[in-house]
Amino acid sequence: MKNQKSLLPVYLLSVLLLIVSCKKDDPVIPNEEELITTLVYTLTPVAGGEPAVFTFTDTDGAGGAAPVVVNDTLTANTAYLGSLQLLDETVSPPDDISAEITDEAEAHQFFFAAEAGLNATVTYADFDGNGRPLGLANTLTTGNVSEGGLTITLRHEPDKAAAGVADGNIANAGGETDIEVQFTVKVQ
Amino acid sequence: MCTMINRGLVALLLMLCFTHISSQTCSYTISGALKDKGTNMPLPYATVYIQETQSGAVADSVGNFILSNVCAGAYHLKFSHIGCETENYFLQLSADTTIQIFLGHHTELLSETVVQGKKEDNTAKVSNTIGRSEIVAQSSKSLAGVLENIAGVSVLKNGSGISKPVVHGLYGNRIAILNNGIAQAGQQWGNDHAPEIDPFAADHISVVKGASVLAYAGNSLGSVVLVDMDNVNQDPHLHGETNYLFQSNGLGHTLNARLEKGGKWLQWRITGTLKARGDQKSPGYYLSNTGNREGNISVQLERRINTKINSKIYYSLFNTEIAILRGSHIGNLTDLEEAITRKVPFFTQNHFTYQIEAPRQIVQHHLLKAQVNCLLRGNQSLQFTYGGQLNNRKEFDVRRSGRENIPALSLLQQSHFAEGVYKTIFGTNLLLKSGIQINYTDNTNNSETGILPLIPDYRAFNAAAFAILQKDAGRVFYEFGGRYSFQQLDAVTITTTLPRKIERYNTPFHNYAISGAVKYSAAANYKITLDAGYMLRSPEVNELYSAGLHQGVSGIEEGNKNLKQEQSGKLLLSNDFSIGKRLFVQALTYFQYIGNYIYLQPQQEFRLTIRGAFPLFVYRQTDATLWGTDLLLTFEPAERINLILKYAMVRGHDVSDNLPLVNIPSDNLFASAGYVFRNFKRFQNNTLSANGRYVWKQTRLLPEQDFLPPPNGYFLLGATAATALHLKDSELNFTFTADNLFNTVYRDYLNRQRYFANEPGINIELKAGYVF
Repeated sequence: MKNQKSLLPVYLLSVLLLIVSCKKDDPVIPNEEELITTLVYTLTPVAGGEPAVFTFTDTDGAGGAAPVVVNDTLTANTAYLGSLQLLDETVSPPDDISAEITDEAEAHQFFFAAEAGLNATVTYADFDGNGRPLGLANTLTTGNVSEGGLTITLRHEPDKAAAGVADGNIANAGGETDIEVQFTVKVQ
Repeated sequence: MCTMINRGLVALLLMLCFTHISSQTCSYTISGALKDKGTNMPLPYATVYIQETQSGAVADSVGNFILSNVCAGAYHLKFSHIGCETENYFLQLSADTTIQIFLGHHTELLSETVVQGKKEDNTAKVSNTIGRSEIVAQSSKSLAGVLENIAGVSVLKNGSGISKPVVHGLYGNRIAILNNGIAQAGQQWGNDHAPEIDPFAADHISVVKGASVLAYAGNSLGSVVLVDMDNVNQDPHLHGETNYLFQSNGLGHTLNARLEKGGKWLQWRITGTLKARGDQKSPGYYLSNTGNREGNISVQLERRINTKINSKIYYSLFNTEIAILRGSHIGNLTDLEEAITRKVPFFTQNHFTYQIEAPRQIVQHHLLKAQVNCLLRGNQSLQFTYGGQLNNRKEFDVRRSGRENIPALSLLQQSHFAEGVYKTIFGTNLLLKSGIQINYTDNTNNSETGILPLIPDYRAFNAAAFAILQKDAGRVFYEFGGRYSFQQLDAVTITTTLPRKIERYNTPFHNYAISGAVKYSAAANYKITLDAGYMLRSPEVNELYSAGLHQGVSGIEEGNKNLKQEQSGKLLLSNDFSIGKRLFVQALTYFQYIGNYIYLQPQQEFRLTIRGAFPLFVYRQTDATLWGTDLLLTFEPAERINLILKYAMVRGHDVSDNLPLVNIPSDNLFASAGYVFRNFKRFQNNTLSANGRYVWKQTRLLPEQDFLPPPNGYFLLGATAATALHLKDSELNFTFTADNLFNTVYRDYLNRQRYFANEPGINIELKAGYVF
C-alpha cells in the first residue's frame, strides 16, 4: 500500500510529461462552405449592349484585408436587367452560393437602397414559392445624370410578410444580414 | 435557515464508539451545547429530540442541554430552534457523550465552509457562504443565480438562461470557480458561457472575497467561488430528499433528489437533477426561444481504509441545452442598430413553446475527482487529489441551407489536475500548509463547424507550488503565504489572412503571488480582518489569440500576442460586529489596483466585410482601479421577526485613460422582512417574508463606450411563504415564492439581452419537498 502511494505522484508526473512533450496536432482548417467572398452585380441594358459589372470581393472574411470594390458607369434614362451572383472564391473552382439562396428563397430577400443623389430605382424580377420577392433577378432603371451609392443587402430569415417588405422596404424586415455592400454608381 | 452540523464531531464520536460497546446499560447521558454557527453565540431554548425514544429536552438560557438515562444504542437526534430547519444527527451511544452542535441561525453571516470541521479551516479568509437549505430552496436557479444572494456578487447574463457570477467587479478569467476543490475548466472565458455546475449537488457555496486564496488552483485575481460537498453522514440508514419545483413563468419544472447512506465499509451519496423550461414571458410579450433543459447527476463514494487513511471518489455529469432569445441573434452593426430601436424584439411569437431552436447551446461537462487523505505522525497530514474534466460545448447559430444543426462553435476540452498537499502543526498553534499542483489542459476545435475558430486549439501546462503559514494567537489570527506557478500555453492558430496558414505560438509565464491576513477579535462581538495580497495573472487564450467574429458580442475580436501579465494588489478590510443579540453587521471595504489590466477596446474604425460593417475590438492593457463596499445587516427586533439588509457598491476606473470600466455592476440594495409563526400541530417553520431589491442605474459610463446607454434603475418586489409538516421520521415541506410581483418592466445593465428585450416578468414558484 505504502509503496503504491509513493509511486502515484511519480506515475502521474511521467504521464503528464509524456503528454506535454509531444506537440499538439495541426488543426484541420475548416471548409468554410458557407462563406460568401464575392458579389457580382451584372446590369445588362434591356435594349441590348455591353453589360455594366459591379463587384465586391472580400476573400478573407472577417480578416483584416480590406475588401476590393469595382464600380461601373450606367447610361441615363435606361432600363437594365440586373442579376446578382454570389461566390465563394476561396475554393477553386469558385462555389456558386446563389444556388443556395434560390433553394431557400422563402428565407431570403435582397434589398436595394439608392442614396438620395442617385437617380435609379430597382424592382424585383423573381419571386419565392409564396409569390414574395427574392431579388437575385431584378430591374434597374436609371433617371437623369447623377452619382451616388447603391446599397445591396441580403437578409436571412426576414419577415417577408411584414408591412412594406414586399415592396423592397427593409425597415420591418428583421432577420440577419448575410450581405451588405455599397457600390458607387455613376449615371451619365 | 440553518445549515450543517459540525461534522468533525461525528468522526470524534465514532472513535469514542469503538472504545467500548455495551448494549444493556441505560445510564448514559448525552449533553452538549447549541451555538450559532455564524456568530458563535449560544442558542437558548433550542429543542433536542430523540426519534427512537420519542423523548426530548429543551436547552437552557445559554444553549446547554442534557439528556439523562439513555440506553446504549443507535439514535437519530433532532435539533431545532426558532427560524431554523430541524437538523438531524446520528449517534451511536456507548458512553457518556458531549456534543457541540452548530446551527446556522444567521446564514448570511456564515463566513466559512466547514469542511470536515478541521481546525485549520478557521482561517482569516473573508468569505460568505450559502448553506444547504437555501441551496435546495433555490435549486431551480443556476449557480450564479444562487450566488446572487451574497452581498457583493452580481450576475452577468446573456438572456435569462446563461449567467455567470461577478465578484467585486471581476468575472470570467479573473474569478476561479472550484467545484468540489477542482478548478472548473471549460470555456470560462466567454461572457456567454455559464459555469457547468449544478448547485443542488452542493452543501455549501461560498465566495472568498479576500486575497488569501493561494491554495486554490486557477488563474484568479482575488476572488474564488467554492462549491463544496460535505462528507457523507456516518448514519448507517438510508436518508435523502426529493423536491419538485414549478415556475409559472416559462412553465418550468425542476425535479431533484439526493440519497445517502453511511456504513462501515463504504459511504455513498447520489444526487440528480432534471429541469425543463419553455419560453419565458416579459410583461407584454413572450421572450421567444428562451427555454432550457438540464439533466445532472453526481455520485460520491467515501471509504475509510483505516483510522489513518480516507479515500473519496466523486463523479458528476452536467448536461444542458439552452435556447438564446431569437431576436438577439443579429448579423452586422446595421442589424444591431435596428434591433435596438424595436419595442418588441424581432421574431417574437405570440404563443408559448417548450421548443428550443437556434441560436442555442449544448454543453456537457464531466468531472471525476479522487482524493486520498493520510494522517501521519505528530499532527501531520498528506492529501493527494486528482481531478479530470471533459467539456464538450456546441453552439448553434441561425445558418443557411440546413446548417442550423451544424454547430457554429464546437469545442472539446479535457483537463487533468493533480495535487499533493502537506499539512503540519508545530510549535504552539502554528500551522503550515503547503502543496504542489499540476494542471494540464487540451482544447480542440471540431472542424465540423465550417467556420474559422474564434479560439485556437491549444495545450496549457501549469505547475504551481504554495506554502501558507497560520498562527492562532488567541485574539489574533495571522495568515501569510506565497505561491509560484509556471504556465506554458502552446497555441496552434489558423491565420485569418489568405492563404490560411497554421502558426504556432508558445508563451511561458512565471506567476507569483503573496498574501497576508490578520484577524483580530477585539471582543466577543467584534472582529476585524485586514487582508492584503499581490498577485500576477497571465493572459488567457482568448486574450492572446482570439480572432474572428464573436457572435456573442456582435463584433470582431482580435487577440493580442504581446499581452503581459496583469499585476494586482488588493487590500480588504472587514468589520463584523453585533450589538446586543439583535443586530449583526458585516461591513467590508476593498481597494484593488490592477496594472496591465486586460480589456477589449472598441476601435474607432469599423471593419468592412461583405456582411457589412462590424465593430472591431482589440485586447489592450491599461491600469485600472476597483474599489467598493459590501454591507450586510441582520436585525431581530423581536424574537420572531427578522430583517435583512444587503448593499453593495463597486467603482471601476481605467486610470491611464481616465475612463470608467465597462460591465461594472451598479449599486444595489436588497432588503427582506420575515416573520416566524408558532408551530401549529405538526406544522413547523411556518414563515412569511417579503423582500425588495433596488438596482440603481449605472451612471458611470461614457456614451461612446456602449451601443446604448445603461438602462434605468429598477425595483423588484418578492414574497415567500413556507411551512414544513413533521412526520415521525420524515418531513414534507412546501414553499411558495413570488418574484417580480408587480410585473415590472425593466432591463439590467449586466444582461447582454438588454439591447433587445425586457427582463422576464412575474414568476410564481411552488416547491414541494420530502426529506427522510
